[in-house]
Amino acid sequence: MKKSAIILILALLVSTCLVGSVSAQDQITLTLWDIRTASDQVTPALKYAIERFESDYPQVKIDHVPTQNDNYKTKLRTAMSADNAPDIFMTWGSTGLKRYVEANKVYDLTSAIESGWRDNFMPAAMDLGTFSDHVYGVPVTNVAPAYIWYRTDLFEKYGISLPKTYADLKEVVAEFVENGITPFALANKNKWTGSMYYMYLVDRIGGSDALQKAINRTGAFNDQVFVEAGEKIQELVKMGAFPDGVNGLDEDAAQSRMLLYTDRAAMYLMGSWAYGTIKNENADILTKIDFMNFPAVESGQGDPSNLVGTPGDNYYSISAKSEHKEMAVEFLKYLTDEKMGESLIAVGNIPPFQGVGNKIDDPIMKKNYQTVQAAHYIQLWYDQSLPLELSQVHLNTTQALFSLEITPQAAADKMEAAAQEYYGN
Amino acid sequence: MKTNNLLSNKYFVAALFLVPALFFALVYLIIPIPLSAYYSLFKWDGIGAMKFLGIDNWAQLFSDTVFWKSVINNFKLVAISLIIQIPIALFLAVLLTRQIKGINFFKTIFFIPMLLSSIAVAFLWRYMYDPTFGLINGILNLVGLGHLTQSWLGDSSIAFYAAAAPIQWRFIPLYMIIFMAAISGIPEQLYEAAEIDGANNWQIFFFVTLPMLRGTVINASVLIIVGSLKYFAMIYALTGGGPNHASELMATYLYTKSFTEMNMGYGSTVSVALFLIALIVSVLFLRFNKKDIRN
Repeated sequence: MKKSAIILILALLVSTCLVGSVSAQDQITLTLWDIRTASDQVTPALKYAIERFESDYPQVKIDHVPTQNDNYKTKLRTAMSADNAPDIFMTWGSTGLKRYVEANKVYDLTSAIESGWRDNFMPAAMDLGTFSDHVYGVPVTNVAPAYIWYRTDLFEKYGISLPKTYADLKEVVAEFVENGITPFALANKNKWTGSMYYMYLVDRIGGSDALQKAINRTGAFNDQVFVEAGEKIQELVKMGAFPDGVNGLDEDAAQSRMLLYTDRAAMYLMGSWAYGTIKNENADILTKIDFMNFPAVESGQGDPSNLVGTPGDNYYSISAKSEHKEMAVEFLKYLTDEKMGESLIAVGNIPPFQGVGNKIDDPIMKKNYQTVQAAHYIQLWYDQSLPLELSQVHLNTTQALFSLEITPQAAADKMEAAAQEYYGN
Repeated sequence: MKTNNLLSNKYFVAALFLVPALFFALVYLIIPIPLSAYYSLFKWDGIGAMKFLGIDNWAQLFSDTVFWKSVINNFKLVAISLIIQIPIALFLAVLLTRQIKGINFFKTIFFIPMLLSSIAVAFLWRYMYDPTFGLINGILNLVGLGHLTQSWLGDSSIAFYAAAAPIQWRFIPLYMIIFMAAISGIPEQLYEAAEIDGANNWQIFFFVTLPMLRGTVINASVLIIVGSLKYFAMIYALTGGGPNHASELMATYLYTKSFTEMNMGYGSTVSVALFLIALIVSVLFLRFNKKDIRN
């Protein structure tokens, strides 16, 4: 009795193992990892593309595994280093993707791109997925620069006019503070959120080549421009431009936008995806929302039409290990086709595809599109354009600037020390 | 038959059932320890080639102020957890082993925090801590204590304590259950004898219950010490070790180093240091209390 029970259990164990491996024979499953959780505004567009693909290719199933933004970055890095990458994965292009390309983890899309697919994309958007003339990632989601989103009704109510320069901005900040309104909604636990202020200030003070000079080592990360950007951030902090305990608030938990929605904050420096997010979370307030460019710094060299952001936002790539690369390429074509473009426009994005300009009806999105066209330069986010070793130092020192725990000079020196270690000079 | 003989051997059967657990323990617990020690000698981003550094990572560790800050925070967490969790758990356990009306209701209520996942608890507290919309500041404002409102997770001087609070809240029920089990194992005669001798409730607690729970309290303390030294989940979810490393623990620091900054070599160094510290502290504590356990 006892023995037969044990044998039965063993038999059951063995048979369950066998069943798992036999059934999935004819069906192809492509695993797709990205950040398109239920609260992400692009998710419906992505789901629609998956639906269309699966109905055209009934033998293929897309296993979509979304993860929240900041956790996603860690999850992907871990999976990559453990050689467990999914068939299709999402990055932000640039150095983040390049690291995997250099480790031969990413499938080369060049031949697929050159057979007519390239015409589909805005040329500028391709750059971040292209390394040594080979394409490893295609832009899918959004042409997304950061703007200052603001509550038009609050500006009207207190008779405050839009700031054109940094001096104006300080006045605006002072007036909102006086009226008991937090000037900027910001949640800086995530660090990349506060980094946007720093990047814009560096651009406005030192121009678009300030960062490039520091990277190619003709300049340094503790040059005056970086110190001054830090000083201006701390000047704004001391004026009360940001919410209390800003470094403890979580952007992923919407602790910034809640201030904007409840009339407690007037401005919100955020990527243009904010428009879709707001539409998704609180559509009633959309009529009171508009955006402006980051103001100029009077003595600075930066062109105020310059933007900080990304020309493609999310790049989708195929793992070099995938067993069904052709199918995966086919799926990426569904992710970048005209219908996808239309559904992206519908959720408030500007897809990085050709010929979208005349399809946009929404006035704010039109303005967004035109602002992008008018920009002389788009600086990619530092945490995507700098190598990982430096981007983490940048994020940490910038967060410390917001809590006044580091001086601008010390922050810049720390960054330069890390750069010297990384570049070896 | 030979197989039948084997299967009727209870040691063989026991070993057979231990094999799966042993396999996973080996792969996920035992082998990684020497492996981490090996990785700690390299500069490695987890993807590319490994570069041998010798003891450079260890030299860096000893002069790494953030690491030492995280060690101090871990010991603070040990102290806070011992001081808060044991007495409150003991108090609740004594209360819930008495004849009170609706005892099952209270048992369930008090046990709920333990049933929630760490991350869910962290999110619950994150919204309670929200400086503008949170429950805590809201109540403080309501009762006229507005001057006590804080940006709980954003202020470096209190973020660690704010992040440590939900850990206490969540783990008290665990020790409460352990103590309740131990209390129900104390022979009834001891209480009867004490009552005949005219002991009051306090005396019964201090001279009967507490001495009989000594071994359980020590075991619970070891669990708390080791658990606090390697604690990760809620701190990571609430503050990520921030702001500016104010609430950094060894585990969050090694996670950030390994998986955010992709410095697997240095992350391994921190993890081996964490292992050694936890090992030394728990061995010392157990040795210190060895006599008591035997009683």
